Amino acid sequence: MFKNFRLAMAWLHTWFGLVLGFVLMAVFFFGSLSVFDREIDRWAIPASRFEPQPMPSFDKVLRPVFESMQPQQESLDYLKPRVNGPLPERFDTVRAWGAYTTHRDPVLGIYANYEVPNVKDHDDVAYATRTIDPRSGASLPDDRLKIGSRFFYPLHYSLNFHWMDLGYWIVGMAAMVMLIALVSGVVMHRKIFREFFTFRPKKATQRSALDLHNMTGVLALPFHFFFAFTGLVIFAGIYFPVTHTQLNPLHELHEKLEAQETGLPHDRAGVAAPLASVDAMVAEAQRRWAAKGMAGEVGYLGLTHVGDSNGYVSVYRAGTDRIALTGQGIHFKASTGAVIREEPAPTAVARVGEFLTGLHLQHFRHWMLRWLYVFGGLMGCVCIATGFIFFVEKRKKQHAKQGSQGSRAVDALAVTTVTGMLIAAAGMLIANRLLPDALPSGWPPRGDLEQYLFWAGWALAMLHAFARGGVVAQGGINPAWREQCYAVAAMAVAAVGLNWATTGDHLLKTVGEHYWPVAGVDLFLLAGAALAVLAARMVSARAMRAADAAAASPLQGTADITDMAASAAQKKEAAHA
Amino acid sequence: MQLAMTLKRVARSEVLWRIAAAVLGGYAFCWGLIALSVAGLYALGLEFHDAETLGSILAFLAYLAVFLWAFCAATLRPVWLVLAGGGAALAALASLIQHFLLA
Repeated sequence: MFKNFRLAMAWLHTWFGLVLGFVLMAVFFFGSLSVFDREIDRWAIPASRFEPQPMPSFDKVLRPVFESMQPQQESLDYLKPRVNGPLPERFDTVRAWGAYTTHRDPVLGIYANYEVPNVKDHDDVAYATRTIDPRSGASLPDDRLKIGSRFFYPLHYSLNFHWMDLGYWIVGMAAMVMLIALVSGVVMHRKIFREFFTFRPKKATQRSALDLHNMTGVLALPFHFFFAFTGLVIFAGIYFPVTHTQLNPLHELHEKLEAQETGLPHDRAGVAAPLASVDAMVAEAQRRWAAKGMAGEVGYLGLTHVGDSNGYVSVYRAGTDRIALTGQGIHFKASTGAVIREEPAPTAVARVGEFLTGLHLQHFRHWMLRWLYVFGGLMGCVCIATGFIFFVEKRKKQHAKQGSQGSRAVDALAVTTVTGMLIAAAGMLIANRLLPDALPSGWPPRGDLEQYLFWAGWALAMLHAFARGGVVAQGGINPAWREQCYAVAAMAVAAVGLNWATTGDHLLKTVGEHYWPVAGVDLFLLAGAALAVLAARMVSARAMRAADAAAASPLQGTADITDMAASAAQKKEAAHA
Repeated sequence: MQLAMTLKRVARSEVLWRIAAAVLGGYAFCWGLIALSVAGLYALGLEFHDAETLGSILAFLAYLAVFLWAFCAATLRPVWLVLAGGGAALAALASLIQHFLLA
């Protein structure tokens, strides 16, 4: 089909990169934001703007909260068709309680799973989640959306599109295409080392877009490869559910043997039992960690088979100072507090797995690396966006001659996924600050409204990009680029202003108090606004130059000028080589 | 003109077959690879989840390789044979091992 290997790779790179590049753009951008997901949560939920807290006392704070919980409506709705007969009024048989925290969490997210009587599939549970202030145990209103960790972060790996898990599959395919694009991109450009240092911003758009595409692609190549690859490994269980389908019998055999070996019961005994002091168990776990020279805080606290004689309590150390999310688990018998099992050091393979997933998820404390992740991710965005621009620039003159709408459509989609995405994100933050605390009855929950406005903003940006794209079909620059850049700048500044107006936390105050979660989001928004203005001005300048060039050589037309510039650049390159 | 259009149509169906071989054939092959890694390595004494981790790490790298191969191979017949046929064979072998482990 293709004449040679390089042509095959070029075809793959162009077409797969184009189609899934639109998805990758969102994955890279919201992935970059997810590095600071908890900080964005603080910005979006002013009631949670206080210092990170350690895991609170179970006996005094957590237990009463857990005992007051009941499954939430969406869980019951899901279960209704999956049981024989009606659902009970109350759920009293707790399969598990759990709480997870990191060194960046002021509020604590907790969950409970309940056994469901007469359920068709034994793995189905009723669940409840809650967010509490760990200092008092008071619950936060459950209609507040954690925009960072509950919207931007899952958008990054599932597009928040959960029907049949389709969002995961699209992102998985996109990640695979990222790996393919990296390999095929390297094959296409043999002068990798030179491209590392080549950027000609004053050249024709096509040339400078390609330079920037190559530079960001090559410079961050290991970063891009690592993140696309580890992202796939993290969700391997979704993409290849081998051990839950074909090899499920083997999996169950392993679980039974493991329960025998570890002494952690797989099922309930059916005999009621009291719960000993969990705080004493936590203290014992911390004593054991300290004795091993690795004193630390609790990252994950879990209770399994609550209220049953087979119940046990698991205490995991927070991975603040290491790559694994949590580790050094110690399990206690819930009714007595006796140690059942102290987990041995992870095996070599487990350490590799922890390294790959832990480095991607980055819950450990390293602020500098955190910022490098953001820049690496944004560099990926630049790489993808310049790929789109190169695609359009290379073809639009030709398409204009042929009367094709191809480059116009690609350009409009590029506007949608680059500036349109920023408009959606900034619009969501503005909505978050403008919606009243208590909504009139009959309205959707506040967090849901914020999500609707996010998608509505994105859809509007798309309409605008397509409506304004007519000039591209004549070989020009879509004015939507410039207009949306200005919109992004205005909206980002508005979000910062609204944060000040509605909470009183202006930058002088937050920076003065070193309250970086909120100050950081504000500064990031302002920096983004400045960049957007700069980009808008550069687009204007280019559009004007292109118009001048077209006017200066009406006979030749701009197509030839671009071609000449490109061939001159190639000649220069050849002369250097 | 007509010849050019026929050629174009042939090329389009060929592209679709390449994509199917790379995406679906590659998936089948990697499924088989994971299945055999889990069952085989577990049978050889590796911890179950370790075998699973190792299998999926290998599988995604393999997916990348066979995907590229599907696009640069001269003809598609060996690609389908190795990816779909090989994937089925690996998966069957995994089920066989599972059968003996459970027996």
